Amino acid sequence: MKEILEKLQLKDVNVGACAGPDDWYEDPAGEEIVSYNPTTGEPIARVLQATEKSYEQVLKLAVEGFKTWRMMPAPKRGLIVRDLGEALRVKKEPLGDLVTLEMGKIRAEGHGEVQEMIDICDFAIGLSRQLYGLSMHSERPAHRMYEQWHPLGAIGVITAFNFPVAVWAWNAVIAAACGDTTVWKPSSDTPLTAIAIQHIANEVMADHGLKGIFNTTIGRGAIIGERMINDQRLPLISFTGSTKMGRRVAEAVARRFGKTILELGGNNAIIVAEDSDLDMAVRSILFGAVGTAGQRCTSTRRIITHKSIAPDLSKRIVKAYKQVTIGDPIEEGTLMGPLVTKGAVEDMMAALERAKEQGGEVLFGGSRLPDLGEQFVEPTIVKMPRQTEIVHNETFAPILYLMEYEDIEEAIRLHNEVPQGLSSAVFTTNLLTAEKFLSHEGSDCGIANVNIGTSGAEIGGAFGGEKETGGGRESGSDAWKGYMRRQTNTINWSRELPLAQGIKFGD
Amino acid sequence: MVPKVSLETPIEDLVQKFPEAVGFLTRNGIRCIRCGEPLWCTIGELLEEEKILDPQKTIDELNEFLE
Repeated sequence: MKEILEKLQLKDVNVGACAGPDDWYEDPAGEEIVSYNPTTGEPIARVLQATEKSYEQVLKLAVEGFKTWRMMPAPKRGLIVRDLGEALRVKKEPLGDLVTLEMGKIRAEGHGEVQEMIDICDFAIGLSRQLYGLSMHSERPAHRMYEQWHPLGAIGVITAFNFPVAVWAWNAVIAAACGDTTVWKPSSDTPLTAIAIQHIANEVMADHGLKGIFNTTIGRGAIIGERMINDQRLPLISFTGSTKMGRRVAEAVARRFGKTILELGGNNAIIVAEDSDLDMAVRSILFGAVGTAGQRCTSTRRIITHKSIAPDLSKRIVKAYKQVTIGDPIEEGTLMGPLVTKGAVEDMMAALERAKEQGGEVLFGGSRLPDLGEQFVEPTIVKMPRQTEIVHNETFAPILYLMEYEDIEEAIRLHNEVPQGLSSAVFTTNLLTAEKFLSHEGSDCGIANVNIGTSGAEIGGAFGGEKETGGGRESGSDAWKGYMRRQTNTINWSRELPLAQGIKFGD
Repeated sequence: MVPKVSLETPIEDLVQKFPEAVGFLTRNGIRCIRCGEPLWCTIGELLEEEKILDPQKTIDELNEFLE
């Protein structure tokens, strides 16, 4: 562990506010938090949290930094992002290990998350030459009309524990290519990965004589989070977290007419049709429901199976669950690590009690695994008689609810009945079923897949969901537009002054 | 007995210091962890949002549970 920390320049006590290579702001008034290893319960290192004072120092440099950064041609910004990607390649191993150490996801997933950061850097390099606006034919003679995209400013990025590094990259790297600076408030459960990234970004920025581009303020939501969402200097807040917190963020930011990108709760389902390839379905269900110990926004939480194959599918899923190796996530061969906090374990157990009260039958799991550690649980399968209240709620844990349907219309109705709308999938070999699921009378989610599961999105597509998932889009496709402001320009190159709609005014 | 928590206790503190409180509250239909992250408000604010008629009674029961 010590070696990992040293490679990432982490100390026993780290400062939680930074705006550049020589701009770490240490305020002794800040409260210390301890980052614990969820596998062992042992402390990894401590962080001196940001205060109002150090937040102000960071914000000042982020706003100043924007004035320089926005004037650098976008393709040149892309070259600096390329350097960041290279630096991440060099640090991939220790950074991926730190993700595992601090958050508890298995090593392959921790390293995969850093790879996602590298991928998004590669994407952003190309993007920096493709920040296109449209041009339109003007209805007025000798006029030219077009639109262009300008950077927004310093942007607030608030992320959750479950993807402690990739979600930062989705936001900060795209924002950087767009000409924005970012101020990051990571989860208080994963502050060390944030500091490690800040060190990496600082080294790259130092090579270019820059500061204030990538900034971090680690602190409580009630202090730093609230300060950010109410800060007029942050024109955009990108928030990843729960629907309940997202509502609070949206209301606060809207009050000051700021913009938001909201990436909120999911309650993702897979419909398994009677004609599906069950081997493929089971493998996808296992990865979707058990991967990251069920703590992904896109984790599979509901299975809606055609009643003719439901008994067979249940047996196959239970058999697959029995083969899941649970243990230290850093060890090769482990498929499921611990939950992130003791509170998360309590939340899961309480949800299971409610599921049973509502008629649920536990087919597999349902227990804590104290021999492995306080935060280890069994991945759990619960057969539900119907889609009850607990199934409508997202529990951030490896609980999988099984339900049955008679026809595809009922399956889609059940699928869309929950308030969330992030990710979805159907397993079928019937073209009509697949197309119906993808059509406007099909899945109401932002992500809809055929014959692959709900989780494990690529960076090239826009990531996000509808309804209580918040409607935000991050990462690929044209999600970059959320980090810029659109300006429509009309240029009159005649010596006349014709008005639109043919209006005559004082002629 | 000195009460461990009050209406003014931030949820972020509660979850860190008394994780078992999460289960107690969830079993009573009050979820203070969402998506694995604690809410940013105090317990009192959460109970008010959840329209709990007698918030102090819930706090008393929670303190009793934590003893």
